[in-house]
Amino acid sequence: MDAAQLDTIVERYPGATGRVLGVLEQVQRRAGYLPRDALEYLARKLAMPLSELYSIATFYSFFTLEALGEHVVTVCMGTACHVNGAPRIVERLERLLDVGAGETTGDGKFQLTTADHAFSLTSARCFGACSMAPVLRIDNRIFGYVTPDKIPAILRQFDWEGNHHRNY
Amino acid sequence: MIRVVINGKACTAEKGESLLSVARRKGIDIPAFCYEETLAPYGACRMCLVEVVKGAQEGITTACTLAAAEGLEVLTQTSEIVSLRRALIELYLAQAPRSEAIRALAQRYGIQKTRFARKVRPDDPLQNRCILCGLCVRICHDVMGAGAINYIGRGHFTEINTPFYEESAVCMGCGACARVCPTQAIAFEDIVQTRTMKSWSGTRVPLHACSKCGRHFAPAPFVNYARQKLAPDLQQTPLRLCPDCRSREIARKAVLLSTGAAVAD
Repeated sequence: MDAAQLDTIVERYPGATGRVLGVLEQVQRRAGYLPRDALEYLARKLAMPLSELYSIATFYSFFTLEALGEHVVTVCMGTACHVNGAPRIVERLERLLDVGAGETTGDGKFQLTTADHAFSLTSARCFGACSMAPVLRIDNRIFGYVTPDKIPAILRQFDWEGNHHRNY
Repeated sequence: MIRVVINGKACTAEKGESLLSVARRKGIDIPAFCYEETLAPYGACRMCLVEVVKGAQEGITTACTLAAAEGLEVLTQTSEIVSLRRALIELYLAQAPRSEAIRALAQRYGIQKTRFARKVRPDDPLQNRCILCGLCVRICHDVMGAGAINYIGRGHFTEINTPFYEESAVCMGCGACARVCPTQAIAFEDIVQTRTMKSWSGTRVPLHACSKCGRHFAPAPFVNYARQKLAPDLQQTPLRLCPDCRSREIARKAVLLSTGAAVAD
């Protein structure tokens, strides 16, 4: 994202108060993440410390500091989904998408992106769709009653070509 | 001046003054971690809970954010407050198990151990002492105007550091953060001509040398900052001497003046 695009976003917000979240949201939506140089540019533009923008960016789960893939697969890890097998779904997704199995961060969260940037795999606490547990979301579509074996068919709807060279 | 009553003792106070400040002046001990006179009361650490028995809003509230008003009456050591404080101390023992300040307070309240999971990270830049009161963040931003550090993350995993965990370009090395920290969590070290802010991603700041003895005595960016704060005519007198040389210089001038000799600069 270049300076001109960021300027356009900032100009949409006339007041100095309350614009930061709006600006960051627009950047996240357009770029798919908050690029570091965008944060550095905005810190100067909005006359606020970089540390504050970084703080905001790391506080809200909506923001990511790394580029997400074209499709974002979010597995619900809420209580109902968890007891209905969400961990096994994550495990299968990690193998199907060939992303670092078990590479979770210390806080139990993860954000894994495929080498070709087609998919990102991440988790969420609850979608409020517990009656369909276990649930996963791809972009804005929710899939309920998911089993590991149903996942390839779901992924194919999002142009997933599969791991032909590996047999699961 | 108005009159407030703390634990039955009458105290005089400025109208609107923080009740914690009134109590401390009177020698009434109320524990607090996040109270710092140079910053607005914040009510974050919750240690200074007191009970308002007569006033605009009766009940338990933080003394630091409680404004003194005529006729206000508070109690600072009721059994309910003590039990709330004891629970808080246990939480703090879990959050900052290596903090001497918290251990000392725990001892005073007769607490040997915490029921909560202790957070111990061997590589914690804040030495497992940080209670996230935010004084360092606020003094750096609100008073020093640097904003080098801030909270990162959320919830149980919140910590304080520089953005991207990299050396800060805006930290002046002033050490105000370490000075206000109630749990001595922030570490920095001066080695010859460099100050290293060990807690802040190893941020390095050059030290300014005394023009007389050559000792490196203050962070150079902070010396420049202080100079800008001086009145224009004083800015010409550079802060070139270390405190030792400066006092020697002042003494020398005083002696020369008393003997009537001409003072050479």
